[in-house]
Parts: sequence; structure tokens; C-alpha cells
Amino acid sequence: MTPATATELIDDIGGLLLFTMILILGAGQVYRAIYAVAAQSVFLGIAGAVLAAATGNPDLWVIAAITIAIKAIALPWLLLRVVKQIEVRLEIDAVIPISMTLVIAGAIVVLSFYLAASLGAVRQSITGDALPVGVALMLLGVLVMVSRRKALTQMVGLFAAENGIFFTAMAVSQGMPLIIEIGVILDVILGALVMGILVLRVRSSVDADIADLEELRG
Amino acid sequence: MEAFEHIAIALAQMILIAACSPLVTGVIQKLKARLQCRSGASVVQPYHDLMKLLRKGTVQSDTASGMFRVLPALVLAATLVAATLVPAVWVPEDRAAAQLPLGDAIVLTGLLALARFLTAIGALDAGGAFGGMGASREMTVGVLVEPVLMLVVFSVALAGGTTDLGRLATHRLAVPSFHAPDLLALLAMLVLLLAETGRIPVDNPDTHLELTMLHEGMLLEHSGPGLACMVLAGHLKQLVMISLVAAIFLPIGLATQLAPYAIALALAAFAAKVLVLSVFLALVESSYAKLRFFRLPQFLGVGFVTGFLALSLRIL
Repeated sequence: MTPATATELIDDIGGLLLFTMILILGAGQVYRAIYAVAAQSVFLGIAGAVLAAATGNPDLWVIAAITIAIKAIALPWLLLRVVKQIEVRLEIDAVIPISMTLVIAGAIVVLSFYLAASLGAVRQSITGDALPVGVALMLLGVLVMVSRRKALTQMVGLFAAENGIFFTAMAVSQGMPLIIEIGVILDVILGALVMGILVLRVRSSVDADIADLEELRG
Repeated sequence: MEAFEHIAIALAQMILIAACSPLVTGVIQKLKARLQCRSGASVVQPYHDLMKLLRKGTVQSDTASGMFRVLPALVLAATLVAATLVPAVWVPEDRAAAQLPLGDAIVLTGLLALARFLTAIGALDAGGAFGGMGASREMTVGVLVEPVLMLVVFSVALAGGTTDLGRLATHRLAVPSFHAPDLLALLAMLVLLLAETGRIPVDNPDTHLELTMLHEGMLLEHSGPGLACMVLAGHLKQLVMISLVAAIFLPIGLATQLAPYAIALALAAFAAKVLVLSVFLALVESSYAKLRFFRLPQFLGVGFVTGFLALSLRIL
């Protein structure tokens, strides 16, 4: 694969990653957001495969496979399971209106593209727009986390932010050492497991949700 | 001489779009029925409906003014003129060739907005409660939908350097590009397509249930040939939007010469593209429920932000 084709493909996948991010932000129901983040992880895996083919770095193949297996299949499955078990209200509970979040999201993407223009030196030949897309994904993931009340949707935001970091790391460094990537993935799995168990425990012992835990009473 | 040729071709494409538009509606309804395990009406059913309406007399509300009688014709006329602007089958080969100022994407948007406005005026004029409600909702959707169309058009026009749809299609035929802004623009356009054709997440074309209808609500007071005009305008608008997507994003197969072979190929390609988008519409309509009206800004907001990104990624 020539570098030019790879750059174009990475740019295209970046566009699709941004679109799935908008879908996560615009999702009105929890399971839609989960499906969207699963689709995003699939695109991330494809991006890894493209980079692997372009750079010839075998570690990236492994990372692409792990990304698809864990982030696109295992973690969404876990989230859907938690959704089923706690029988949460399926509609997303937002702190600010979802249409408002979408407007902020547009501004964030423009901002990160604008800022990345000043980082010209970091933009390498093969990565194209991967840096601003990755930064935008990370910020939008954080936006999802701060603007939603339920722990489950906050987890979706965490995964999306993590996808952004992963995409940037993969594209800009053309493959981090395998051990670091695996460490990051294990962190995410651990986080997801802890959060999943925590949500179930909190629900079963005190019948409360994350938003109800804002103030402590003695 | 060239000018006459251009006008003749634009008119021929308009007639093609007008003649096929009920068929497209029929095909979408048939596909939908098959997806829902029904046998469904024949694909030519919309033609029968139109013929039936044309034979009937007109009943008019007492409160309606004289304007009400001509409005359906005006709506149909605006949509027909919009249909002349879309390159469905043929585009001029030479991008720089002096062309007739028949109109560009902005005129197209304006004409569709005019048709929407006239439909709403007609619904309000008749004085029915459902008409007024439908009109108010349709205009609300219009406010959300039209900016998306403009954003998508500008995003594509920036790359092509023109807002003329024929030249845009020629440009994209010569330089096919599938960069990130193009993908985002296409995705925004697909969201828009659902809204503009009045399909399920936004509006339900099959319903006459008072509280959920948008477009149907505005047609309630029309009858006979007037209703036929409005219904045909609805079919036409749908095919115009579909052809617009096909012309901008999938210009493969468009004829650049007037040779019979090229034209036949272009017709086949047009049919294939329309069929693909019809399948998309039928699939979405069979797998989603209609959104509550106050949820619409959220759904169309996804389209808006996507269109906005398509434009800003093109510039940045």
C-alpha cells in the first residue's frame, strides 16, 4: 500500500470515526450509543490494519485484532448485559439538552482542527488528519462523560475518549510498542469491569444511580 | 443552437423524473411491504391513485380563499422546475463550456423551500385544525433541514468550485474523490433524505393518524385534481432528492454525449442508483419507529453537525 493511499484511507476512517462520535452524542437511547461505540471501535481496528499494511509494523496487526475483539465485541457485550440486568430506563438522561451537546461538539471539532494546524511538525506524511481527529474524539468523549447522568453512558464516553487516544497514538507514532498498547487495553477492560460491577452493586444495595451520589449525607 | 439543446435536455430529464417518480414511491412501498412480510400493493399503484384523483371532483372548504384552488398547481410547478435542475442522466462534457444559467443548487433549495411554503400556506388557508398543525410542524422541520442541504451543497461546491449542479456532477465524474468531507457530506445527505422525503424517523407517509402526521396533515383539505397535484409533487420531490444524492455523490455512469449507447447506459445507471437509495429508505423505514416530534431536533441535529463538519473539514 502506498503512503498516499494509506493517508487517504486514514483520513476517511477519521471522518467515519467522527460520524460515529456524533451518533454517540446524538443517541437518544443507551443501546444506540453502545452500538455506535462498537462501530467506532470496528473503524479503529480497520485503521490499525491499514496502518499495519502501510508501515509493515507487525505489532499493529495484533493491536488491530485485539481492538476489534475487545473493544468492538467484548466490552459492548458487557455493557449491553449490564443494561439488561439493571433494567435501566433506556432513554439517555442528559444534563444539558442533546441538541445543545451537538452544537458544542461541532465547535470542539473545529477547534481541534484549528489547533492542530499549529502542530504541523507532528503531522507526519502518513497520518494526515489523524491528530486533530484523535484530539476531537478524546474531547468529545469527555463531553459525553460530563453531560450524561447515567454511569453506563459515561462509560460509553470513556470508551470513545479512549478510542481517540488510541487513534492518535497509533497514527502519530506509527505503532507504539506492543506492551504499552496491551497495557492500555487491559486498563480499559479493568475499568469497564470495575464500573460494571460497581453499577450493579450500587443498584442492588442502595437502589441509587450515579447522579444521586452527588451529595453525601451523614 | 446549443442553448436550445440544453433546454430540450433539461426538459427531457424533467419529464423522465416526473414520469418515474410515482413508480419510485411504488417500489419503496413494495420493498417495505416485502420486508414486513406482506405482499403489498403493485408498484404501479401510485399511478392508479393519481388517475383516480384526477377523475374526481373538487370539494373546497368554505373558509378557503381563491388562492387555495391554484396552490396545488403552483406547488407542482415549483417542484417540476426543481426537477429540471438535477442532472439525472446527462451532463455536459466540458466543464468550462458556456451553459445556460438554468439555475444551480441554491435555486434548487429555494424552489423546494417555495414548494414547502406554498403547501403550508394552502394548509393554513383552508382553516382546518390539522392543516394548521401539519403546516407548523412541516415548517419546523424545514428550518432544521434546509441548512443541512445548504451545508452539504457548499461543502461539495467548494471542492468543485461551482454551485451549478451539472458542472458539479461533471467535476466529480472527472475527479472522483472520497475524502473524509465527502463521506461526511454523504452521511449528512442520507439523514436529510429521510427528512425531505417524509420518511419514518421524521414523518410517516402511510399514516392518517391526526397527531403524528406532518405532510399528510397539510393535504387533508385538498381533493380531486388538486390533491393529485400535491401527491405528484410529493413523489417528485422525493425523486428529485434521490437524484440529487445520486448526481452529487455517485455520478458514475452519467452520459456526457448524446449517443444512444451512452444514454442507455446512463438510464440503467440512474435506475440502479435510485433502486439502491430506495432500498436504503425502505430498510430504514422498516427498522425504525417514528420519532416523537420533540425528538426530531436531536435526530436532525446529527445531520446538521455532520454537514457542518463536512464543510469545516473541507475548509480547515
